[in-house]
Amino acid sequence: MSHDQGQTLVHMVNQIAANLSGGRETAEAVEGVCAHLEKFWARSMKQRIVACLDEPDSGLEPLARQAVTRLAERQAAKAG
Amino acid sequence: MIGYYDPIKDSFSKDLGTPARLSENHVSLAIDGVEISVPEGTSVLRAAALADINIPKLCASDNLEAFGSCRLCAVQVEGKRGYPAACTTPVEAGMQVTTQNTKLARLRRNVMELYISDHPLDCLTCPANGDCELQDVAGAVGLREVRYGFEGENHLSAEKDNSNPYFSFDPSKCIVCSRCVRACEEVQGTFALTIDGRGFDSKVSPGQMEDFMDSECVSCGACVQACPTATLMEKSVVDQGVPEHSVITTCAYCGVGCSFKAEMKGDQLVRMVPYKGGDANHGHSCVKGRFAFGYATHQDRLTTPMIRDTIDQPWREVGWEEAIGFAAERLKATQAKYGRESIGGITSSRCTNEETYLVQKLIRAAFGNNNTDTCARVCHSPTGYGLKTTLGESAGTQTFDSVMKSDAIIVIGANPTDAHPVFASMMRKRLREGASLIVADPRHIDLLDTPHRSDAQHLPLRPGTNVALVNALAHVVVAEGLEDHDFIARRCDGTAYQTWRDFISESRHSPEAVESVTGVPAEAVRHAARTYAKAPNGAIYYGLGVTEHSQGSTMVMGIANLAMATGNIGREGVGVNPLRGQNNVQGSCDMGSFPHELPGYQHVGDASARGRFEERWGVTLDDEPGLRIPNMFDAAIEGTFKALYVQGEDIAQSDPNTQHVEAALTSLDCLIVQDIFLNETAKYAHVLLPGSSFLEKNGTFTNAERRINRVRKVMPPRAGKEDWEVTVDLARALGYPMEYRHPAEIMDEIAQLTPTFTGVSYDKLDRLGSLQWPCNAEHPEGTPTMHEFDFPIGLGRFAITEYVATEERANRRFPLLLTTGRILSQYNVGAQTRRTDNQVWHDEDILEMHPSDAEMRGIDDGDWLGITSRSGQTVLRARLSERMQPGVVYTTFHHPASGANVITTDSSDWATNCPEYKVTAVQVEKVSRPSAWQQRYDDFDREQRQFLDAAREPVAHGVSP
Repeated sequence: MSHDQGQTLVHMVNQIAANLSGGRETAEAVEGVCAHLEKFWARSMKQRIVACLDEPDSGLEPLARQAVTRLAERQAAKAG
Repeated sequence: MIGYYDPIKDSFSKDLGTPARLSENHVSLAIDGVEISVPEGTSVLRAAALADINIPKLCASDNLEAFGSCRLCAVQVEGKRGYPAACTTPVEAGMQVTTQNTKLARLRRNVMELYISDHPLDCLTCPANGDCELQDVAGAVGLREVRYGFEGENHLSAEKDNSNPYFSFDPSKCIVCSRCVRACEEVQGTFALTIDGRGFDSKVSPGQMEDFMDSECVSCGACVQACPTATLMEKSVVDQGVPEHSVITTCAYCGVGCSFKAEMKGDQLVRMVPYKGGDANHGHSCVKGRFAFGYATHQDRLTTPMIRDTIDQPWREVGWEEAIGFAAERLKATQAKYGRESIGGITSSRCTNEETYLVQKLIRAAFGNNNTDTCARVCHSPTGYGLKTTLGESAGTQTFDSVMKSDAIIVIGANPTDAHPVFASMMRKRLREGASLIVADPRHIDLLDTPHRSDAQHLPLRPGTNVALVNALAHVVVAEGLEDHDFIARRCDGTAYQTWRDFISESRHSPEAVESVTGVPAEAVRHAARTYAKAPNGAIYYGLGVTEHSQGSTMVMGIANLAMATGNIGREGVGVNPLRGQNNVQGSCDMGSFPHELPGYQHVGDASARGRFEERWGVTLDDEPGLRIPNMFDAAIEGTFKALYVQGEDIAQSDPNTQHVEAALTSLDCLIVQDIFLNETAKYAHVLLPGSSFLEKNGTFTNAERRINRVRKVMPPRAGKEDWEVTVDLARALGYPMEYRHPAEIMDEIAQLTPTFTGVSYDKLDRLGSLQWPCNAEHPEGTPTMHEFDFPIGLGRFAITEYVATEERANRRFPLLLTTGRILSQYNVGAQTRRTDNQVWHDEDILEMHPSDAEMRGIDDGDWLGITSRSGQTVLRARLSERMQPGVVYTTFHHPASGANVITTDSSDWATNCPEYKVTAVQVEKVSRPSAWQQRYDDFDREQRQFLDAAREPVAHGVSP
């Protein structure tokens, strides 16, 4: 079994997206997933998942990718 | 009767003879001319005792219903004939009772004379000497002679039964008062004892004249406590004699949090007697709390700090100062090399609130990051997430006593008779009174076999399909018009409710639609939903079978949805009740152990909350969450997380995917373990700091009903320091001094910083016995029932609970589903109970499987089985059991060499990373030898034990070779 941390995080955010998408509009689900990551993930995990956006085969599902993209924007705004 | 040596006179030290009655109508009567007014239904015996008129009694006890067999409490009532027994005679208005006169005295002496004519007269050498009600009553009635002699037919040569490791049964001393039989029925609810034979032949019989160990007895000890003579006696008292003082404290096993009197001789603990004034247990206990305390003085206890540079080296015993200095230097060096976030710590759900609070404070303030987590991560973290999202507070809503007002009780993924036995006894009492029981569990649990219960339904769902089931239950409630519209309109957020209602009404959630997923017949689901929704009071109790899934958090929210939809929140008899595994899981969560939350569930990103901590602690705190335990492991393997301080938790045994955990632990440059034993994790450590047992420190534990109970020191710490003192030393060595002289001062700081604790202090705890948080200006004496008028978030929020099947599913390679759990006699990783005589009940973990699965594989009872998952393989012995459903196998994880967690995977709850212990796809086959992991484990274990033994041996050889 692979224990590459990037892959683990991608798997986790896909799982979060799958659980937060049911019964919700896309915009609401994206916001829900992004807020979840902000609230519960450590700084290093956030940085790592944001870095996955640039990887061609990151494995991020579409909803997860949108949420991570939003997270990247917000983290950048917070830092800036 | 032991009460007389307790210096603090409290209302619980006296046995009032019969149970309290709660009627609001009071009745006045005169007893020996003393006027007294008591609730209607009270017995004359109890009324007299309340007026401090003590009528002799033998068969009566105030935790048992009156029985009227010994006739010693005979009294005279004006206007009535004869000599009625005071215990079975209810008070009447205007009654005139006489308890003492010549006639009554003669009557009582005659009764005693008959008793004593068939009782050994070895009082001086009897273990009950000084603690014998028979002896006391003989004295009270003035018995001076036995005219019948002792030569007649008698029971004096009846044989002893010493089969139970903790108590002896000596029928020669039995007076057949039936207190033991009634305690087993009324208090414990097991019905293991009976009176065999009639008249003179009557004798107490475990099972059908079996030994105690061969009977259904669960060794709770209620009979021992009830016995008025030496017939049932703790072996510790037989060996050591009657204790001389006692201290009230709190059990350190499960989340029930029973209060005990630790009965002592000097600093030796002789026995633990459940305390009648305990608000959680009301004088009852289980085999662990009452009897399994010998681990505290076991020879394996670590008593000296030890250090080593690498884990392939022997340990070196050092003083506290050197060990703490070594640890602090390593932590500082690690941070200097790998950065501030490269270290972290794990708080303990077994330690006190104060100790947990200090460890997370150390991490946040002295380590300078939020890398703190606790073993709740692997058990109830989804409860925190799910209940906070829906109800606004991360805690159960009720008291334990609340169950006595429930009419329908749903138990999901919990096994209370084994894991929360004292609460299970109370639940069983309510089931005998007529409440309906609905059990949702892949296994047939013992609660379903409650003797004399009324309606019971079992929904034997497939592991991993909880959310589909709870959605189906909610669908029935909505579709069949069983909602509590008034409650929903008043108490819940309308928009969230409407969205949820639209979602749950979809036909894909109907019991018929999900039958093929859950395996539970649709009609059974409908029946269960109706039973719960239509009951005046419906309560839900759940355990780790809910949380330890990939959708643990979703399931918790599904449960909260169901309770809100039916209006089963905010009063006694209802509610959402997580049954907490460890003694202080609730407390460790409350105390800010999670990486994203400061004490009191205040998010680290909340600037105003963080500001108050920064001001009090005098540091700047990180506003980003830290790493959770599984994230720490991943980061360790990757090389970015290098040092860990673990207080009182055994992650190497308890966490899933053992080989992954081992890889993480061996990647660390510095592992500091503080524990009472060389546990599995400690074998990977560089610094060993000896911990103190619950008997050796002051503090508080918070149980599953949010009840804060005092833990009181009854003996000095073996290694010289209470656990909180060690954390203080470590903080000081890291340049962050903490100044506390006593845990009470730590609690004062907690109260200042935690809005739900502002009214908590040791003074108040001593005065009131216990407090259920929230305890603040609004609720100065605590909050037994939560959410009575509103939720902490204002309106309750229904949550969408989409069922997402776990990725861990049975397939051709791994066709069976493994689920894990506990048994009564062992506790968690077994570090404590394995070092007691509880081993006689369960000295190895066993794989339970259905006979049809076994037959297909040619497996017989007792065969060695290799159990393989995608994570690893281990070997256990087989037990065929129809408690299992075909396709599902079960084991416990109490013994490290079993390697149950070698096979569990790193699949986890989507919201909290709580591991999915309850579902692992496995294959099972007959094998002839231990697994490769077990062989490696044995070698490593042997080596590490030698390293410890080498450190402990005195230097005898003078010069080294």
